[in-house]
Amino acid sequence: MNGYLRNIKVVYFRDLKQELRGLDEFLSMVVFGVMLVFITSFAFQLTDVDTSRILPAVLWVTIFFASELAVQRSFAREKERNAIDALLMALGDKSVLFYAKALANFTILLVFGVIILPVLWIFCDVSLRGVNLWLLVFSLVWGSWGLAAVGTMLTAMTVQLPNSRLLPILMFPLLIPLFIAVVRCTDLAILGVTEGALGWVYFVSVYDLLFSLLPLILFEFVLEG
Amino acid sequence: MRLDRRMIGLLILTVLIVGNIYIIGIYAPIERTMGVVQKVFYFHISSAWIGMLAFVVVFLCSILYLWRRSEEVNQVAVASAEIGVVFISCTLLTGPIWAYPIWNTWWTWDPRLTTTLVLWFMYAAYIALQGGGAAENRRRFAAVYGIIAFINVPLVFFSARWWRSIHPVIVSSEGMNLDPRMKTALYASIIAFSALYVHLAKMRLSVLRLRKRVETLRENLVY
Repeated sequence: MNGYLRNIKVVYFRDLKQELRGLDEFLSMVVFGVMLVFITSFAFQLTDVDTSRILPAVLWVTIFFASELAVQRSFAREKERNAIDALLMALGDKSVLFYAKALANFTILLVFGVIILPVLWIFCDVSLRGVNLWLLVFSLVWGSWGLAAVGTMLTAMTVQLPNSRLLPILMFPLLIPLFIAVVRCTDLAILGVTEGALGWVYFVSVYDLLFSLLPLILFEFVLEG
Repeated sequence: MRLDRRMIGLLILTVLIVGNIYIIGIYAPIERTMGVVQKVFYFHISSAWIGMLAFVVVFLCSILYLWRRSEEVNQVAVASAEIGVVFISCTLLTGPIWAYPIWNTWWTWDPRLTTTLVLWFMYAAYIALQGGGAAENRRRFAAVYGIIAFINVPLVFFSARWWRSIHPVIVSSEGMNLDPRMKTALYASIIAFSALYVHLAKMRLSVLRLRKRVETLRENLVY
């Protein structure tokens, strides 16, 4: 078991190091995110919608779209260098690769979310008073993990196909429950309402747990042969 | 002999469907407040039932495929998913026909509506992932996706349910609250639709098998 965790750690830090070396890709993702946030909040400004209420929706739509860029990179890089087989040979267990990649994607998404959130906050002109910080942090962390887990699983498939544009079609229907739950969580956090929040917290936890454990069985079949 | 059996099957199917249309149109009473538009309900429920049934078949075949790797099983899953997407489309189309006069809106974000729509998306993604099913890895990925997607359905339903619900509950814990003749019509149409599903699946399967045979023959010719 110790070796298992150590392997995850090694691959995780290796992936992060790669990400830092090719930082321009992450930066272009951030620019894309800021632009998406700008365009959406601007579009809402042009209508009569109360922009202080749109923050959770815009935040998660942005993170969801950006997540596609983030997770797609993680396996595409290995594919380019024909490194998947070598990695699997070195690691032995296929699920190690899943957890390491998912954790790396999770870290990237979390950093992305932390950068995007203040920008959106300023654009939407939301009051900071009465914000439930714990709930906000929770939704950001668990939301990113759920996205990373589902995305990593699916991108491992699409990267092996000639037409890898399938990823968003596969990914978004599976993410709908998570999307509903994290948007509700973030909304309640901003409003500072704790009533009803616990149910959503449980829901996100169950979703994340399920999609963290399913690959333990199913990832084996994704990286076969 | 084989042709005869197929003819008999087709005859039974025709009788079932024509009988079903008679039962829905003439035998079942017209609903007192909703009027004649309520009759779309029989088609609506039956299509939804076939959509769900097809999805369960996809799920079971996916597990079986990962276990046994039989191409036949995959063909059943593909045929089922394709029929499923057609019937889910029927459900999504017949719903608004009823909803507009009754709810005064074409669409709402009710859990059943949301789940059905997400189901449709997942079917579409599943079929896209199969991509004709020529490559072995596509079949394998589709099987993995079929399992995850099935597990996702209750999650979608409950997340949407906590959020809001206005859909009429026909089947509750106290049983069904329907006129007995309406109940008969509902059962009749579920039976007729199930027969239609079986027939379509058989037809689709024979096409898939023929396609496979053509591919094998062509390969043998080339090499």
